[in-house]
Parts: sequence; structure tokens; C-alpha cells
Amino acid sequence: MVSVTLSIRQFSACLRCVQQVSGANVTPRRLLSSSTTAREDLQTQSSTPLPPPPSDPPTDSTQISAPQETPEYMQKWGTLDPQMVENKKQERRLLRREHLQPVGSRRRRAVLRRSTIQQATEVPFEQLPYQCFQEARRFLLEDRQEKLKEIETQQIRIKNLVEQDPAVSGGLLAKEARIRSMRKHLNELVILADINDPVVKRKFEDGQGDMNKPIYRYLADEKWRKYKRLVLEQRITQLDVVPDFLPTIDLVADIDLGFGRKPVAPGDFVDSAISEKMPRLNVQTFTPGEKLVTVVVVDGDVPVPETDSFTYRCHLIASNISISPTQTSIPLQRIAQEDQKIEDPAAKKISVPWIAPWAHKGAPYHRLAIFVLEQSEAKSLDIARLSKTKRNKFNLRSFVDSHKLNPITATLFRTKWDESMAGVMERAGFKDQINVELKRKRVEPLPHKRRIERMR
Amino acid sequence: MLLPRIFAPVRASIATSSTFIAPSTRVLDALRSANGSATPTVPTLSFVRHSAHQAQGRANGAKDGPGKRLGAKKSGGEFVIPGNIIFRQRGTAWFPGENCKFGRDHCVFATESGYVRYYRDPRKHPKRQYIGVALEKEHTLPYPPNAVRRRRLNMLAVPVTAPTSSSTPAADVIVADLPVDTAARADTPRESTRKSLTLTRGKGYAYREANWQIGRAAERANVQVKEFVPGDRWTAWRKSNARIEANVERKKLRNAGKKTAKPKARKQRN
Repeated sequence: MVSVTLSIRQFSACLRCVQQVSGANVTPRRLLSSSTTAREDLQTQSSTPLPPPPSDPPTDSTQISAPQETPEYMQKWGTLDPQMVENKKQERRLLRREHLQPVGSRRRRAVLRRSTIQQATEVPFEQLPYQCFQEARRFLLEDRQEKLKEIETQQIRIKNLVEQDPAVSGGLLAKEARIRSMRKHLNELVILADINDPVVKRKFEDGQGDMNKPIYRYLADEKWRKYKRLVLEQRITQLDVVPDFLPTIDLVADIDLGFGRKPVAPGDFVDSAISEKMPRLNVQTFTPGEKLVTVVVVDGDVPVPETDSFTYRCHLIASNISISPTQTSIPLQRIAQEDQKIEDPAAKKISVPWIAPWAHKGAPYHRLAIFVLEQSEAKSLDIARLSKTKRNKFNLRSFVDSHKLNPITATLFRTKWDESMAGVMERAGFKDQINVELKRKRVEPLPHKRRIERMR
Repeated sequence: MLLPRIFAPVRASIATSSTFIAPSTRVLDALRSANGSATPTVPTLSFVRHSAHQAQGRANGAKDGPGKRLGAKKSGGEFVIPGNIIFRQRGTAWFPGENCKFGRDHCVFATESGYVRYYRDPRKHPKRQYIGVALEKEHTLPYPPNAVRRRRLNMLAVPVTAPTSSSTPAADVIVADLPVDTAARADTPRESTRKSLTLTRGKGYAYREANWQIGRAAERANVQVKEFVPGDRWTAWRKSNARIEANVERKKLRNAGKKTAKPKARKQRN
């Protein structure tokens, strides 16, 4: 009993540090900056044209449709708030019924739950009785006000420069260069204005950041570059994707590969039965605006025993897929299904349909590289022209050049012969290749090392 | 008699020099010149300087052992096949470049057949010198950085030897409780007399089963293991209790032979 009371006291003490943004009965509160609307206006103004904020359909649909479809035993579970689920069982139930991930740490959720049960009075951020904390907040607020002022002046300066006659500002090129550097500085200021905001930090860590806002894009990019990008880059260079498929690649977008539910780390061996269906991609860009992209899957290790070398084979080309910082998913399987319904061949997206990756028995592993190529100026490509692309001896370098594409990210998986490969090949129409096996060639010894009859 | 004659020039020299105080060496010189070179005085050593370092025996080590036959075994442009040693060395004066590898004593050997090249690659390392094997005679190393890698398949397409479809190992299954009679004597469920036993030569000289086959032995013998159920606290408790009891028993047995000090009988206080 003693321990219980102790822990509760700790929780209530901890509660003051933890803020509840949107509880069941608490209105959302802006914490650091008093004028919410002003800031958000500023963010949308200052950044280059942004798409309208998404209406967030998935959560709405689940909230509406969930109670109708849920079976009875699920309804017995009661209300499950992602902010307050406390134990593993509840978390699992939340995921099953509401299809939502719990928010933040379990400790925080426990604190929030206890405080709502006890109906503890909440001290807002601004009135917390810690002097040092309040001093720090005031300092950060002052800094933010400074940054806002700088942003305003910078905007006025840019506006003036744009209106200025190029002859005065030293030629058109010099003027443009200056505008560019000023815009860059403005973007930096926009980031700096928000980077110290504890609410921003917390929202980002909870995964609730709005990727339409520059600060969240910036934070996501930083996080990606710290670990995930390093791993991806290493796999791409170590498995020689870079000189074999393309001369260079600068990774600027995060990519997640998966087959069905199963995520695949870059460079993993994927079972042939699993890779029979198309993968799904998640491409997170960190630059504002929508992009049209082409997804290409190329096998770089198709053996050619006649010439004793390797060649390429194209497994998929899907074009005119739009992505943006908030629209990250590329479900190729669904895109293919939608394509089948479309009558007009020009409106289709998949120009070279998927064939399952396959490998001969005994052959060295096949690398299947997946490239996301940005189409220049978001112009859509001609599907009829693309569909004439030959699968065999596909050259990605010339493909990229001829269609003016810019690779933004890439990943890869590997395949080799396994138990299910025979079936996969039969269904893919390579039945004649099933009973072909690759075996190592005998290396003839050098003439002076050859053992002749006399020596035996 | 003799002395006065010998000392006479000395006396004269002393007489000439007004100041008698002179460095001792000068005195010796004067003596020598006075006596003439006919009878040179031999200086005798009054001390011995001993050697500080052993001069003979094993102290300095064998300086000139047998040669180790290091150096280039294949020169630039020579044709090599996989496994040919190109360079023997102590340390890493040369590094393996394209289509080459280090041996266990830093010797550089070829992994592809081709033509030997000795080169530098400042992109890889500014100071190292590399040995590589170019696949074609006219190629130069290093290959350009952003070009497609040159590589060979080194394989032949042949029809599959064993049909891939028969994946059911019906012949491998061994019934554990086989009735023992004379007819089925040959089919004893011992591993070594298995019909489908295939022995292959491993890395060493011995013919043995592959490791994965050995690992499947229990499966073949149809050994049933109780399935582990995560979160089954009842079984876990029973097992841990049994283990604790067994440990207690073992401890008792271990201490059975030893003399143990009897616990002192406590005096009961009144």
C-alpha cells in the first residue's frame, strides 16, 4: 500500500512536467507562443508555395467507420485513447480496433491517465512555479520574437530586390544569385524561429508533426540523415548499386521497402514467393511541393553464359506517381489494380508491368535495385513511349538521360534460388529455365603447371 | 756514473728556462727531446677497459639466415589464373587491388584470370600501391570510378542433375519404434546405417555428413520435444522448483563425505 501511494505521488509530481495537448476533455493549448494563428500564417507565408494542409482522411474514416464494424467483443474493451493507454494489452487493442499507434512513452500515458482519473488540477506551462524554467522560457520567447522580426525584414528586403531593376543590382545573374541566397537565409530563419519550441520538439517526437511545415520537415530530415540514410548509403555503395546501375546518386528522400506487411531492410534477401507480388514503397521527401516520380525496378545480375558476363533486366516501370511530404505511400499493388480499371492507355501509370524476380539454380545472387526518379518540372511522361522499353539489356543510365529524370532515392533487395523459386518461375512463364543450373567453370591451369603423363 | 750524464741536458734545459713551473707534459717532451729518439720510452697501460657487450656467441643473433624468397612472383602484364600468387612480402608494401586478395601472410594472389597490373589509385588511398588483375589485355587499372564494374560470370549453364521437384524426404524418415526381427535387421534406425546417408568430403580429409544433416538427426528420429509456451508460469515454476530441489540434493551429496562442524548447542538461558 505504501508503494502505491508513493508511486502516485511521483506521478503527480511528474505530471507538471508533462503537458496534455489534446486529452478527452481538455482543449488543445498552444504553449510557447501565445499567438498561434500568427505563427502558422507566417510559416505558410514564408515558405515557398505549399499544398493546402491535408484534411487527414484516414483518422476520420476510422473514427466514423470503426464503431459500425467492430464486433461485440471489441466494443467491450471500452474507450481507448491513444494518449492514455497504459499497458501492453490496451496498446494492442488500440491497434486492433482503432488502428492507431499509442502516442509518446508509456510513462507519460500513465501519468495522463492517472491525472484524469484523479481529476488533478493542471498547472499550465506558463504558470509552473519554477523560476529558472520560467526564465529560460522567457529567454527563448525573446529569441523567437527577434527571429520573427528578422524574418519580416528579410521578406521586405527580398520584395524590394525583386522589384529592383537588374541594371542597378549588377546584372540579372547577380540579382538572381542574391535573391537565392536571401531566400536561403529566410528559410534558415524560419527554422531557427521554431527550433527551440518544446511543443514542436514534442510533437515531432510523438510523430504528430505536420510535414507541410518547414520545421517538421527539417527535423525529420535531420533524424533521417543521422542513421537511416547512412545505412542506406552504405548498402548502396557496398552492394555496388552506384557504379553498376547509375554513375552517382545523391539520396535526398527517405525510402521504406516492404512486401505486403513485411518490411525489407535495404539489401535483404527476399524469398521468391514473397517477391512474386509487387513491393510497396514509402517515400518521404523533405522538400516542399508535389513531385511526379517514376519508379523503376532493375535486376542487375542477369547471367549471360554465352558471353561470360552479366546484363540487366527491367522488372517494372511505373510513372507519373505523385508524392509530397505528406503523401508518402506508393502502393504499387494498388496502382496496378487501378490501372486495370482504366481504359485509356495514356492515363495508366504502369508502363512495364511487374515480373517476379527469379534466379537460376546455383547462380550468384541477383540485386534488384529500386529507383525513385523525379520527373523534370513535374511533367508527366508518355506511357505509350515508355511501354516500348525493352526488358532485357535495360540500361538505366540511358533511360534516365533520355527521359530527363533525376534520381532522388534508391534501395535494393536480393534474390537467389530457393524452394519456391521453381513455382514462381513456372507462373512467370520461364518454365524452360527451371531445369537449368549454373555451375562453376573449371579453371585451366597455366601450361607450365599442367601435370603431364610423364610426371605421373 | 751514468746518471750525471743523462741528467746533464736536463739540467741545462732547466737552467735555460727562467720559470721552473711548467706543465708536466712539457717536462716529458723536454725529456724525450733531450734523450734523443734513439731510445723511445714505451708507455705502459696502467688500467684495462672491459667490454660492455658480448662480442661472441649468440649475443648478436644470426644475421644471415636463409632467404625467404620474397618479392614479385608475377610481373606486370603476365597472365594469371585464380589462386596464383603474384607477390610475396612481409608487411603490406603492396595492397590487393582489382580482382586480387591478401593471403594470410599478406601475399597478394589473383581471384580472376587476367593480366597483372602494378598501379596506384589515389582515389582509394593517396599513398598505397596496388596490385590488380585486368580482365582484358588492353585494360589499364584502376578502372574509371563511375563506370560499370567489369566482372565475369565464370559459370556454365547445365541441365539440373537432381530433379528439384522431389523435395519430400520420404526415404529419410525413420520410424522410431521399429519391430526388431530378422527381416528388418538391415533397417535398424541407427544413423550410420541410414539408406539415404550421403557422406561428402568436408574441408578436411574426412568423409562426413553435412552439419545441417547432423542437425536434423533428432527430427529424423522423430524426437518429440515439449513445446515452449511463452508466459506459461506454471510450467516455469515447476521446473525451477525441480531444479532448486535437485541442487539441494546435489549439495547434500557433495557435503556428505566432509566433516561438518556441528552447530554449537546453545545454552539455554534461564
